[in-house]
Amino acid sequence: MSLIATTILAPLSAMVLILLLRRIPAALALTGAGIGLIASLGLLSGAFHATGEALMLPGLPGLPLRLAATPLTALLSSLVAVIGGLVLVYAVGYMSRDPERPRFFATMLLFVSAMQTLVLAGDWVLLLAAWELIGLCSYLLIGFWYRRPGVRAAATRAFLVTRSADLGLYLAVFILIASTGTSDIETTLNTGGSTAVVAALLLLVAVMGKSAQTPLHDWLQRAMAGPTPVSALLHSATLVAAGAILLIRTAPMLPPEALLMVGIVGGITTVVTGLIALGEGDLKRLLAASTSSQYGLMLVAVGAGVPLAALLHLIAHAAIKSSLFLGAGVFQHSRGSTLLAELGGVGRAKPRVFLGFVLSALALAGIPPLSGFFSKDAIIAATLASSNAPLLGPLAVAGTLLTGAYMARALRILWHGDGTTRKVAGLGWMGSGLAGLVALAAGLGSAFPAIESLLGARLPEGTLAQVLGLGAASGGLLLGWSVRGRRLLGPLWPWAQQGFAIAGGLDTWVVRPALAVARGCEGLERRLYDGVLATGRLGLGIGRAVRYSDEQGIDRLISALVRGTVDLGARARRLQSGLIHRELAITVVGTALIFATMLITLLAS
Amino acid sequence: MSIELLSALVTGAALFGVGVYGALSQTNLVMIMMGVELMLAGALVNLVAFWRFLHPDTPAGQMFVLIVMTVMAVEMAVGFGVAIARFRARGSVEMEEASELKG
Repeated sequence: MSLIATTILAPLSAMVLILLLRRIPAALALTGAGIGLIASLGLLSGAFHATGEALMLPGLPGLPLRLAATPLTALLSSLVAVIGGLVLVYAVGYMSRDPERPRFFATMLLFVSAMQTLVLAGDWVLLLAAWELIGLCSYLLIGFWYRRPGVRAAATRAFLVTRSADLGLYLAVFILIASTGTSDIETTLNTGGSTAVVAALLLLVAVMGKSAQTPLHDWLQRAMAGPTPVSALLHSATLVAAGAILLIRTAPMLPPEALLMVGIVGGITTVVTGLIALGEGDLKRLLAASTSSQYGLMLVAVGAGVPLAALLHLIAHAAIKSSLFLGAGVFQHSRGSTLLAELGGVGRAKPRVFLGFVLSALALAGIPPLSGFFSKDAIIAATLASSNAPLLGPLAVAGTLLTGAYMARALRILWHGDGTTRKVAGLGWMGSGLAGLVALAAGLGSAFPAIESLLGARLPEGTLAQVLGLGAASGGLLLGWSVRGRRLLGPLWPWAQQGFAIAGGLDTWVVRPALAVARGCEGLERRLYDGVLATGRLGLGIGRAVRYSDEQGIDRLISALVRGTVDLGARARRLQSGLIHRELAITVVGTALIFATMLITLLAS
Repeated sequence: MSIELLSALVTGAALFGVGVYGALSQTNLVMIMMGVELMLAGALVNLVAFWRFLHPDTPAGQMFVLIVMTVMAVEMAVGFGVAIARFRARGSVEMEEASELKG
């Protein structure tokens, strides 16, 4: 079996086994993910030795399904496998008390498998299918604890918002396939002219939905209702990353007009969601807002024309954000809450986890020599070198500043306070998963030159960018550590707490109409149902009336006839006494009557 | 209508009336049968009288009377047979007690 197929099928078959056996889910999940990881690392080393692998499957007539391991896709596949594997290791500990572990691990494996398909797809049709699958998996995982209040609403909201935005992807793919006549992604990327502009803008809509960009950023924060490993996976290597990955892969096609739009959307998002994170009162929601903000930075990099910088930041962010979430999960278990107000001082109680959390936070802020520094630096350098530098440069720097500020704010709250805690089950598994991810978050920067040479592209460099990036990051960290969020935001504070809802935000523009349509359909269905029910009742009534008339009319008539005959017979029987003289007398009287009648008629005529 | 015919018809009617009375009033089977015979005899007197005084030249009336008399004899024989059989079986021919044939 080829490596590509193994990468996708190993988690998938582990999922099937879990669903069939219903036991030892953790061991099966780790085995499946491990085999997938080895296969994807094999793909990556193949890419280094320039032996790309491709697989063509029979699909629709004229549209075969292609899987391709180019350097880019092999790299992303390894990223998904590594992060997915470490998160699964963590989840073994995190979910050790949950009775529904088979369902959890099965869905997680399906998620990883679908994401591998999405990453390795060399074909729009396959990509769409995988895109839908990760949407479904995220819905299932966000709604994993579906009995808790508000969880189902959050899952439905995430699904609705991403699905609405997915319409853009469908339209874009349709346009691309119709204009080029093939579904091969590499071929369609040669499209140019107005088709490319329209397709690129439609793709941007889909990316905005999946990567939670303003104004569609709201669903991601609400998606925190799911288990923490889900959030870690969702935010780093899978669902949310899918949007950025799509954009990075289609970057060669994007015309300048679309690039500008991408940059503006990303820049606005990184600032707006950064401010939201600064005002957030819940650790996981803060991290979610920070995810939107970081993906905004990646969009800025793509908009500046350097998708490689976006890719590097995606990789660094995947490791950083998943380790942050895993740390938050440990804190959550030790206090039973994710509210910042109740997490005060938890860092003192769990110093080793907190150390990992701090390392990841500093990496996210962009402090050398941690991985985030190199990618942030690349992004700022890219914006400064692009033709839209006056617009994108300040946005990127502001995003970096805000990143430092909100991460420092979170660290300050987690550190100050009393260090009480309670015993956390499964800490060993959680700790090993977390340690692996923190090591990646810290050290991935040293792998960046290798990636550059693998993809055959150079990052822009500049002393100005380094100075700006470092200054913004350390300035942000200092601000966030020393100044309270409320004072820092000033008049923006209440607005940020509402998530910068513009005219009701997403609720008004997407969720309400969708729910209204759903409610309308429900009403229509209920009316149909009532109609059917009424028809049935009418038929039943007719039947009952017919039965009644049968019983009361025809039946009674017949029985009356029968009874009359029987009565008549009984009466006639009394006449036949068997006594000769009485019967003779009757005969005589009868004859006399006949004679009398005859006489009367004779006399009358 | 001649006096002779009238007197013959009156005789026949009287015979019939006596027969009816006998048949209705008696309870003995033999007596009832005698009443029936009298009724038939009355009817035959009427028949003979009408033949004798209205159509004396046609033999059909005579023939009819003779046939009826034969039937009377046969009926008598059957009736008395029944009476004897009943008497042997029940020791009585009282018709008040004979209602076995009722429906």
